[in-house]
Amino acid sequence: MKPYDRLDRHALVMAIWTPSAFVAATLLHRGLSSGGDWWIFSGFAVIIAAFVAHIIANAVLGKGFTTGERALGIVAFAAALLALLLAVLVGPPGLGARIFLPVGLGLISLVVAVVAYLVIAFGARGAFEQFDVVRDNNLRPASRLPHRGGRR
Amino acid sequence: MTPLLLSILTLLALYGVYIAAITARQEARPADFLDGAQALPGWAAMFLLPALVATGLGLETQLAMVTRFGLQASHLAVGFVLASMAALLLWNRMWYVARVAGLSTPGEALGQFYGSVTLRVVMLGLAVLFALPFSANLLSSAALLLEGATNGLLPRAAGVWLLAISLAIPAIIGGWRATIMTLAMQAVLLALLLPGSTILAEILASAPGFPAAPIPVQDGVLWDRLPGVIQYSAGIGKEMPATGIFTTVALSSSVIGLLGIVFSPATLYLGQTASPGRAVGLSTVWLAAGLLTGIFVLGAPLLATRMAEGPLALAAQFYAFEPLAGVGLIVMLLVGALLAVSFFVTGGAILVTRELVIRYLFPELSEQEQRFSARVAIGFAFFLLAFMASFVPLVSAVLGSVALPLAVQLLPAFLGLTFLRWISRGAVIAGMTLGMLIVFFTEPPGLILFEGLFVNLPWGRWPLTIHSAAWGLAINLAVVLLASAATLRAPDNLQRNRLHDALFQATGMAVGGRGLFWALMLLWSFLAYGPGAVLGNTFFSHPIFTSGEATLGIPSLWVWQILFWLLGVVLVWWMAFRVGFGRTSEDSIRSIELEDGKRVRPDWLAAGLDRVNGRAR
Repeated sequence: MKPYDRLDRHALVMAIWTPSAFVAATLLHRGLSSGGDWWIFSGFAVIIAAFVAHIIANAVLGKGFTTGERALGIVAFAAALLALLLAVLVGPPGLGARIFLPVGLGLISLVVAVVAYLVIAFGARGAFEQFDVVRDNNLRPASRLPHRGGRR
Repeated sequence: MTPLLLSILTLLALYGVYIAAITARQEARPADFLDGAQALPGWAAMFLLPALVATGLGLETQLAMVTRFGLQASHLAVGFVLASMAALLLWNRMWYVARVAGLSTPGEALGQFYGSVTLRVVMLGLAVLFALPFSANLLSSAALLLEGATNGLLPRAAGVWLLAISLAIPAIIGGWRATIMTLAMQAVLLALLLPGSTILAEILASAPGFPAAPIPVQDGVLWDRLPGVIQYSAGIGKEMPATGIFTTVALSSSVIGLLGIVFSPATLYLGQTASPGRAVGLSTVWLAAGLLTGIFVLGAPLLATRMAEGPLALAAQFYAFEPLAGVGLIVMLLVGALLAVSFFVTGGAILVTRELVIRYLFPELSEQEQRFSARVAIGFAFFLLAFMASFVPLVSAVLGSVALPLAVQLLPAFLGLTFLRWISRGAVIAGMTLGMLIVFFTEPPGLILFEGLFVNLPWGRWPLTIHSAAWGLAINLAVVLLASAATLRAPDNLQRNRLHDALFQATGMAVGGRGLFWALMLLWSFLAYGPGAVLGNTFFSHPIFTSGEATLGIPSLWVWQILFWLLGVVLVWWMAFRVGFGRTSEDSIRSIELEDGKRVRPDWLAAGLDRVNGRAR
């Protein structure tokens, strides 16, 4: 690994997400503030496009998502989900009904994109194993043997 | 709009500081500050090159020109394809020159190859010209736009200093690598905002625009066609052709002028310090020739039509619809200029440090001291830049106008360095001197100076609608050809042959023997932006083999531009990936050392002597 590889990859990821985030924010803000489901869908489409560009960058550089990137993605998704729920429960009258469907569909499309990536990258079983912490709880070296299921 | 706009600009500045800080923290060697360890990430160079090519025309300037002259001005964008080809050829060879002979800056490459201090000084002068007046003019325009967008809250002079400081801090902290990586992000931002703004302008429009309606040019200007092959006018400032200035001769010569951005020292330095790989090919084929040219050919007429009342009016319309969209349009225009400012000032300051301070003034500096001197030079350059942009904007504009055409006069020198070994030092210097003089006297600085001191000249800027770069280059090339013919056996040709042999060994590519490619290239050039482009005026609306008229619904010239843009992409692809200029690799490189002005033993003789002495290599 060369001395600047990590830095270069990080800067590339930033170069992909920063402009995309600005464009997505513009579209989502328009959609959320003044109505128009297509603006919201376009905003989520830009986010998915940036995600795809991130995956391509990973593939070209031979790397995967870092722990920080995964954490940031999950936190951002959870925050968006929470914001949607709060808007529906305690937001101004009519707001929840107006944005629930397009934003909900947008969030679902993000989940679908991530699942599709996992399945393509790791296969169905491998994708499941990414989250299968129960299988990883046996610390004995013998648990790694193939005839014991090849755990860990 | 002001608070939101200033917030976004602050975030952009903080982005630069963040990238600079992490770069500085991970710096492996202090000297990497100056050249990014000669391994800048390929993706950064890939994204940045098209944005730099676009600055050759200037985003805001080009949109204003299309608003004023219509499709004849928009035709200039087809020239991006030629600029892509030039960048492909030069970046490839300059990268190998840096690795094969260790000539890691453009000035060092030319100076050492030809054994000429003059060429080093000329490259240094050009670096300063791009870093100061050229960039000061861009910075001044950006600050003027900012003043308008903030309704005068941020006056032009204050805007100049704020923008200069926001660009200087990341460059001083992070050096060359951080600057390039930050600018690459801005290039991506431009690539998203430019088509995005065009689409939004069409969505919000209340009346039909181009192509359903004509581009609203002045009376008499031909908005949908080229005004002939040549116009016998004395030049801008003396006589203005009523139908528009963009004849085919004006277009082809302006495209030659556009190549100046590729020959600028900082752009070449970027190519020399990039990592090996396919980034150059991908960038020139798909991003510069493909995406950039496409955006300008297809989008500029649409956006320019909507921008007839100026960018601020359109931004206000966007802002009323969606605040971030209005700010995005202003940010797009600002980034289009500031990207070039940051690049040329940082690059210029680093080149001055390497070629003047480290080489001549203080050759004993340690790596830490070299980095410190580069930081001082960058800070000083940004100070001078802001000083010129705020206090002498007119002088900056006048001096900046010659940067591109003067850089083009280095074409024979670079041809000699990279491809044509028979071009000699004397020929290059004589041709370049004459070419630069002619440029100077067909551009505002020379005209103003001569007419102020002596008498009025009978010609103005770009006489006969021919760009000064082409006037200079025509004489330059004629002198170089004649002088090189007379100096074929000059004593310095041994040095030249050594480098060319090593380059051939490293690349395995010969330029000759590609008859079909060069024939198609010439044909394409003739029809795309040469005299043949005039056929496009009516080719698709009044087909020549029938008396009937075709009802396309769009101007014939626009179809012609789109067609030759697409054909141009194919040619660049051919050159990059079939001929092989799109890849660089360190695999076959065998280093040589060129010596300055000394007699050098031929390699075959040295190898023979070594064998005799039992030291076979």
